[in-house]
Amino acid sequence: MRDLAAKLLRLDRRAIFVLIAVATLIPLLYPIGLPIRVSSEVKRVYDHIESLPAGSVFLLSLDFDPASKPELYPMAVALLTHAFKRDLRVVAMTLWVTGTGMAEKVVSGVASDYGKRRGLDYTFLGYSPGGSNVIINMGQDLNAAFPTDHYGERTADLEVLRGVRSLRQVNYMVSLAAGTPGVESWYVYGKEKYGFELGGGVTAVIAPGLYPFLDTGQINGLIGGLRGAAEYEILIGMKGKAVAGMDAQSATHFIIIGLILLCNLFYLLAPRTVVRSFDRAQDGPGSPQEVRR
Amino acid sequence: MTLFLRRTLPLAITFLLGVAAAIQYYIPHPISEGALTQMSVWLRIMLGFAMVLGIASLCQVHYAKIRARIAGWGYSLIVFLSMLATVVVGLWAGGREEGTGFGWIYTYTLLALQGTMFSMLGFFVASAAFRAFRARSKEATILLVAAVLMMFGRVPLGEYLFPASGPVAGWLLNVLNLAARRGIIIGISLGGIATSIKIIFGIERSYLGGRE
Amino acid sequence: MATSVFIGSWIAAGLTLFMFSFLYKDNPFFRFGEHLYVGISMGYTIVRIHYDVMVKSLYSPVAQEGKWWLLIPALLGLLILTRFLPRVSWLSRIAFAVIVGFGSGVAIPRIISSNILQQVQGTLKPILSAGQHPFGLAQFNILLILVGVITVLVYFFFSIEHKGVIQIAARTGIYFLMVYFGAAFGYTVMARMSLVIGRFDDLILFSSRDYAYASLVLLVLVSLGLVLWERGERRARTPPH
Repeated sequence: MRDLAAKLLRLDRRAIFVLIAVATLIPLLYPIGLPIRVSSEVKRVYDHIESLPAGSVFLLSLDFDPASKPELYPMAVALLTHAFKRDLRVVAMTLWVTGTGMAEKVVSGVASDYGKRRGLDYTFLGYSPGGSNVIINMGQDLNAAFPTDHYGERTADLEVLRGVRSLRQVNYMVSLAAGTPGVESWYVYGKEKYGFELGGGVTAVIAPGLYPFLDTGQINGLIGGLRGAAEYEILIGMKGKAVAGMDAQSATHFIIIGLILLCNLFYLLAPRTVVRSFDRAQDGPGSPQEVRR
Repeated sequence: MTLFLRRTLPLAITFLLGVAAAIQYYIPHPISEGALTQMSVWLRIMLGFAMVLGIASLCQVHYAKIRARIAGWGYSLIVFLSMLATVVVGLWAGGREEGTGFGWIYTYTLLALQGTMFSMLGFFVASAAFRAFRARSKEATILLVAAVLMMFGRVPLGEYLFPASGPVAGWLLNVLNLAARRGIIIGISLGGIATSIKIIFGIERSYLGGRE
Repeated sequence: MATSVFIGSWIAAGLTLFMFSFLYKDNPFFRFGEHLYVGISMGYTIVRIHYDVMVKSLYSPVAQEGKWWLLIPALLGLLILTRFLPRVSWLSRIAFAVIVGFGSGVAIPRIISSNILQQVQGTLKPILSAGQHPFGLAQFNILLILVGVITVLVYFFFSIEHKGVIQIAARTGIYFLMVYFGAAFGYTVMARMSLVIGRFDDLILFSSRDYAYASLVLLVLVSLGLVLWERGERRARTPPH
């Protein structure tokens, strides 16, 4: 039994890859459609957009690249759908260079589905380098930050940006972020001085790190990962890619939980090796050696 | 004179601009705000050139490989050829992506390649979880339990089987996770401010590069 | 379906499978895809910088609007590129001094306000406004957060020896950190699995009849290619008799 446990612990990792591939494929091909509970942090973003009167300025910054597309693209589709349904003036942009094409595609795609006109109902400002510096620039003077939009039209002449001279005139801003520059940059360099309301849509990797800012109200809502995107799709009555992916998400999570439990079971059964305890480290944090260093 | 230009001048510029930028935050006068606006426009242009530096460095690495005919130099040739092709197509399209060859390259090659490259991490995280995620100590056990509760409570199947798992995962996120993360944020921010002050006062000079 | 879309879908499916072939073993298909990705992303970045930064923010304002003073940051930007010329590379320090000096100065007051003051306020304010029911779950959570923040900060204080009360506080901080890392791991698993789901979604789309079963055909071809490559590698490794 111990030898078998030790052998299984050394299982070829390609067997695990096949297991994950099958666990992803089957629910995508044969979905079940389990119910998804909506969390309060996602509902807060939805409620805020619902409360905005028609004609309000909604700034959406798509701060991600193709690596994060599966999580954040469905969020972008859902938010833009909601914003266009509410007849908000949508101003989109990106702080990530390789995300530019994807950002333009999603904005113009959803806009055309709702008969929205470029320059009048929405615009895509495009990309600008510098992250925090762009945010400061926009906060000071939006036309100086983006003299023209992505399509070459002068921003000072655009109807959709009428009355918008800087970030102070933005009614609501959501950053869909995969890292830095992202939500943190927008509230440190943007909301902090220019006072607009800010929401966040982030990949699941960085979502846990933003809960302190949600708690203090620095961001008024948080959409985290594919699960958050699915919750938002449910709120707006849409069955998009995020909802479709949740069954596969369930399956893969349970496979990994099973692998972790099996790993620990085999570890208990396998012949023991001695492992140095964290407790007895001689030069760890707070030890006399560390203090003297 | 040379030492002044190579060392003292850059340090003086860092000090003056650093102090001015920090003080500007507390001076809402139109001249101060105008200076901030102008400086941020200038910086945007400079950062564009800095990105060119990054690309040029990568080109240098691959060019050196091709010249020295190091093993795998053919792949470096692929880097140059694909870069050149993309630039030519992009300039031909005038930078526009909708309905152009440049947009086609982005949609059908860059999206697929970058998306797949990072999606492979999903397979590796599963393999790593099986091989390495063991409850060897009290701390590791807490980590393991928190991770399992989170994975269980944040998917529909987990909430369907045990409805309480959702609120439990939510409590972990909104209380325990929040507390630890808040401590980390405060700690990192204090460290970041200390580093910024060291840079402004010329104690930290690694950003200048070189021996002086 | 447009021809460009049809051909594009076959290319996208093929490149996806090239990259996934790394899960079997490092191989020429993956290497080709990896280097193609580096080249295309560099080319894309060059084009975007040219049009979105140089043309929009420099050429047009200077040439068409007469904003000649923007040539000063352009000159400073060119100084950055002197990094490649060993004899005058020291000139780049001036440009980096401007970028780093301004960036550091601008960050200090903003980080103090948003990451320190507001976070400390967020921790203490709920305690001071505890309300009519000081022994409810909400109050317990508020106290737990206060304990967690303080003990985590104590743990990271390495310049005092962790003994006595400090050691108890530091150990408590470690337990809070382990919960944070566990939550982060759980969410990281969620994120990585979402990426796999996203790519498989595209492969399933490209396996349909509309796309002439691109994913399936290419899967067979790539697998065949890997088998032939593996055979070639084995033959090259086996010494001649």
